[in-house]
Order: sequence, then C-alpha cells, then structure tokens
Amino acid sequence: MNTAIRIKNLRKEFGAKTAVKGLNLEVREGEIFAFLGVNGAGKTTTIRMLTGLSVPTAGDAEIMGHSITKEPDTVKILGNISPQETAVAPNLTVKENLEFIAGIYGFDRAKTAEEMIARFGFDEIRNEKVKTLSGGWQRKLSIAMALITEPKVLYLDEPTLGLDVLARRELWHVIETLHHKITIILTTHYMEEAEELSDRIAIMVRGDLICAGTMEELRRQTGKEKLEDIFVSIVEGIR
Amino acid sequence: MKSTVFAARTGKEIRRDPLSYILCLGFPIMMLLIMSIVDSSLPPEAEVTVFHIRSLAPAIAYFGLTFVMLFTAIQVSKDRTTALLLRLYASPMRAADYVVGYTLPMCVLGLAQMAACFLAAFLVSLCQGDPLSIPAMLLSYLLLIPSLFLFVGVGMLFGTAVSEKSAPGLCSIIISAVGMIGGIWMDVNTIGGIIRKTAEMLPFYHGVRLARLPLGGAMDTLPADLLCALVSGVLCYILAVTVFTARMKKDIS
Repeated sequence: MNTAIRIKNLRKEFGAKTAVKGLNLEVREGEIFAFLGVNGAGKTTTIRMLTGLSVPTAGDAEIMGHSITKEPDTVKILGNISPQETAVAPNLTVKENLEFIAGIYGFDRAKTAEEMIARFGFDEIRNEKVKTLSGGWQRKLSIAMALITEPKVLYLDEPTLGLDVLARRELWHVIETLHHKITIILTTHYMEEAEELSDRIAIMVRGDLICAGTMEELRRQTGKEKLEDIFVSIVEGIR
Repeated sequence: MKSTVFAARTGKEIRRDPLSYILCLGFPIMMLLIMSIVDSSLPPEAEVTVFHIRSLAPAIAYFGLTFVMLFTAIQVSKDRTTALLLRLYASPMRAADYVVGYTLPMCVLGLAQMAACFLAAFLVSLCQGDPLSIPAMLLSYLLLIPSLFLFVGVGMLFGTAVSEKSAPGLCSIIISAVGMIGGIWMDVNTIGGIIRKTAEMLPFYHGVRLARLPLGGAMDTLPADLLCALVSGVLCYILAVTVFTARMKKDIS
C-alpha cells in the first residue's frame, strides 16, 4: 500500500505553548487512522496543519507526495475536512449546500450534488433548509460536503460528537463504506468508535505522539484488552 | 468563479433572512412615510426644509445604506463564528473571493433598497401633487453608489475586526452619527459651531448633500462632495479588504 500522508517532525507552537511536538507518522492509502487523546492533546491542531488551516512552526508533511508548507494550494484540493462543529450553511437547503461546495471546488454543481443526494439518501430532505434538520442529518451532510470534492484524504474531526447512539451508528456505517476507497483521518473521544472504525490508532498526550498501531499491537504493548483500558494506561503512565 | 459561488450563497442567506427585509427595505420606507407626514404637519413658517420630499428622499436613501452596513457586519461576523468558514478556509478560496462574495450581494441589496426608497418617494410626491423628476432621481441614485461602497466597507471592517456581539453595537454608533450630523434629520448649516465642523470632517454630510443635489441642491458643492464621497468610499473599502485579508491570514497562521 502506498503512503498517503508522511508527517516529518511536525511542530506547532502558540506563543510559549507547544501544541504539537515534532510529530512523525505515516498513514497508508485507504486506511482509516484515528487520533485519540484528551482535550489539548494536539489532535485538532495536527488536522488543522494537514488541511492548511494552520501553518506549522517547524517540520513538514506530505499529502499524496505534496508538501503542506510548499504546496498548500495543491494540498487543499487533495483533502477535505468535516470540522468538529457542523459546517453547513443553515439557511440553504441540503441540495444548495452540496452545490455550493461543489461550485467552490469547480465541480459540475448540479451533477455532483445529485450524486451525493443519491449516495447519502438525502432525496427526501433535498429541499429542506439545513437548520431545520436533526443533528445527525446535519453531520451526515457535513461529511457529504467534504466528500463531494472527491478528496484523496478525508479529515473527520470528532464526527459523531453530540449525536445520539442511532445517529452515531448511521454515521459509522457511512464511514465504513469509505474504507479502502479514500484515506480517512479521524479524531474522536469515543473509544468504541476508534476501535470499530480504525485500521490503526495513535494516542497523543500533550502534543506528543505516544504510540501508534493496530488494536492488536496496542494490546501487546500494554497488556490490556479494551481500547479504553489501553488508552487510560498509556495516558496515566505519561502523567 | 469561486467568488460568484460564494456571492450566490451570501445572497441566498440575505434573501432568506426576514431581518434584511425589515431593516433594509421596510425601515427606510417607513421612515420616509412617517417623515412625509411630519412634513405635512409642520407649518410653513417653521421653514424646515429637510423633510420636504425632494430633500428627504435622497437623505433616507443614504440613511438606508447604514442598514446595509449593519447587515454586512452581522453577516461577516456571524460567518466568522461558524465552522462553515473553517471549511471554506480549507478550500482553495482566496481572500479576494470572500471580499467579492460579500460585496456583490450587499451591493445588490443596497441598490434594491435605494430603488425602493426612490420609488416610494416618487409615489409620495405624486400624492402631494408635485412629482419628483425621474432623471434627477436617477442621478441622485448614481451619486449614492460611492457611499454604498463606503458603508459595505465599514460593515465588512466591523464584521471582520470585532465579534458578532460587538459589530452591531459599533454600527449603531455610525447609524446615530449619520442621522445626527449627516444632515438627514436636521439642517446642519443652521446649527454651526462644533457640530457643523464635525459634520464637514466626516463623509456622511457630504454624501447626503451630494445625493440631494440633483433634486434641488446647490451646484457649487458638487466637486468637493463628489470627491469626498469617492475618496471615502474607496479608502474605506480598501481598508476593509486589507483588514479582512490580514484577519484571514491570522486565522490560518
């Protein structure tokens, strides 16, 4: 499998505070890769740097072979993000939101929007204003808006945060359908989500990448069975 | 292309917000009608001319632009608080695309508002038996365009520089200033002193006087007022674009 993301000594400082401390990592094409960590661990900052939303203080990363520091415009076309908060235009309909993002990226608006409506089952709500939809539908739309640009890498920053269990399961299903088709970087606080969806999991603590591997590798490393226990033992060990 | 897509989205957001109809269309027309009633109630010996329809129509059209400023500030500051802007920052959109994307629909809103205001004023003047000259109204309309850019620029500036809560407050200060020292509700010339000096230092008084000119103002003020409206409009708009670009760079630094 080819490397989709190669991160080299990536570092981000905000004044005296170091949010990400020289991150080194490789993510393979088609992989679902989860970042776990408590608040302030540096997960979102890492994603922000990889998507061009934040400039690294030092280091670099390559997305499909393109540097985030030297080729930010190319990198922005290769990836797309579904941010932590639902990133939709509330007064626009579902169809208009999809057309809007497709238009921004220079795609055939009507055609690509119709494709996403069919793919995500938005037909019944296509003409409804997004602000009237449930949180689950809005989050699903937010992911569809990220996928409409046909990214090679999709960044999902806490995609199921605040959703009820049914809406969360439905989104998991959506993410699973993308497995091996595109590379997905996922941040989450839900251990079962990371365990269910990811090929590999990385644990970050205070800006440092402490470990990364498959569930089996993490189990062997810590001697724990459940991801929650693995996570707690690693994070507590650092503290 | 990206800018027009963004402009179309902003336009839809405006059209679907009832506040835009209330603030940008309803309020100026209501003020025009109320002040026309006030004018008809004033005795001629009071010699108050600011409420005569030929003086009132361009002044209210100018005053209405302050609500376009308010609406611009609200839209820009509101967008800044949403994750949608984060998504767009991660897209290939550049600062110029955002600026054009906000300016185009706000200008359309301002032009529609001015047209509605002059149309209402024409109907009022017809009822009064002294219809306003259509070419004069058209010229006044054109002379208001630099001021439209001034207020869209100020709105964008406030919407970019301060928070969603503070932006409307700052706009209220400008709205009050325009009403008081712009010569809309009172003749600044009859007051004099520091009020008049302040009025002459700011672009509002000149912008109102310029808009009134085709409908019966004094031609000798044309060059100075036109220059003031053009320079203030261009400068303020450039400042807004500069601040927006700097803010965007800061947001993604």
